[in-house]
Amino acid sequence: MDEKKAAILGEIPRLRRYARSLLRDRDSADDLVQDCLERALVRLDNWQTGESPRRWLFTIMHHLFIDQMRKVNRRGEAAMLPLEASEAQAAPAEQVESIASREIIDALQAMSPDRRAALVMVAIEGFSYAEAATILGVPAGTLMSRIARGRDELRGLLDDAARRRAIRIVEK
Amino acid sequence: MTRRDFSERDIHMALDGELPVDERVAYDVWLDANPEMKARSARYVADRAALRAAFAGVLDEPVPARLQKIVFGEAPVKTVPMRSRWWLPAAAAAMLAIGGVGGYFAGIDHLGLEDPAEDQLAEQAIAAHVIYAAEQRHAVEVPASDKDHLQTWLSNRVGLKLVAPDLAAQGFQLVGGRLLPAGESKAAMLLYEDDKGERISLFVTAESAEKAKGTYESEENGPEAVYWLDKGYGCAVVGSLPRAQLTAVAKSAYSQLLAGLAS
Repeated sequence: MDEKKAAILGEIPRLRRYARSLLRDRDSADDLVQDCLERALVRLDNWQTGESPRRWLFTIMHHLFIDQMRKVNRRGEAAMLPLEASEAQAAPAEQVESIASREIIDALQAMSPDRRAALVMVAIEGFSYAEAATILGVPAGTLMSRIARGRDELRGLLDDAARRRAIRIVEK
Repeated sequence: MTRRDFSERDIHMALDGELPVDERVAYDVWLDANPEMKARSARYVADRAALRAAFAGVLDEPVPARLQKIVFGEAPVKTVPMRSRWWLPAAAAAMLAIGGVGGYFAGIDHLGLEDPAEDQLAEQAIAAHVIYAAEQRHAVEVPASDKDHLQTWLSNRVGLKLVAPDLAAQGFQLVGGRLLPAGESKAAMLLYEDDKGERISLFVTAESAEKAKGTYESEENGPEAVYWLDKGYGCAVVGSLPRAQLTAVAKSAYSQLLAGLAS
């Protein structure tokens, strides 16, 4: 039991990083991790010996994230999020982000949750296509197209942000 | 040699390490011959680097206490009633009466065998030991070189007058310490190391309503905890040492901690 808990504890930093890339707000991200840990501990017996704790925990967290996105969509809150989240939503003082980081975080938030999750899972968290497809519960082909479209969309969003920045500089 | 046509799809596969090894050379040739695709690939590499950089700092942030607490299992465990241990305080009192600290520890082996397995203090101490004793660079928050500050800081946080025991006679030097969550309150963890790199940790908390002591092993061949609880404080010594050696270290740590608390 203790070894399981220790393994879970060791995954928290990565769960937090994944949550932060899914949800911009730091507290909302930690809330997601908290929900994930609570569910994991209740289901400790479901964790098969030999199964990677990382894959198990990421799967639990992904389900929670999808549930949350569905609820948000029903309430219509996602549509209200401004495209340039950084301007409407001041980052907390301790969170010093470079312009590049802020732009990329904003761009990630502007993507559809499905593409965002697929891209982050592979590009940041380093899961293989097979692992990521299992965690997200989609066929490998779907995962690949989400990654390809996600990268393309991210590139376009970053280009837009760079153009807006250039215009603002010119206007000054 | 088999040749196939590559496409933009292969850029993603190459980037994500999914391109079969035997196709990589041909892929590089194709990429070199297609400047547009090469530029696309370079752009994706740059975007990925920016993505990783934007979130790299999260891994170094301290884990919020509320998240650690869940794993240490306070909330769910609390709803499960502790198995009755009416005999432990009586046994401990008897041991104390017989021979002070020496007698107290002499009884550990017998008590340990009968001790119920859900002692939270021991579980928390072992979980912390498993995590932090394995860390080379980030094992402690405050190093032994800053011992005075370490003792003052942990004493203030935990709410006990803590003196880091001198375990040199047992071959262990203080590495440093850190603050940890322990149920509703906080715990101090002091880490020691011998000249072979073997580590033991001392886990001290101010929260304890009952009197108990014993040994606790989480897994076969896993680290073992020698612990004691008294009114107002609890302590566990965790390590993967032979039982007799761990008990000797614990005995020394215990008497020094007691003396420190009383000073």
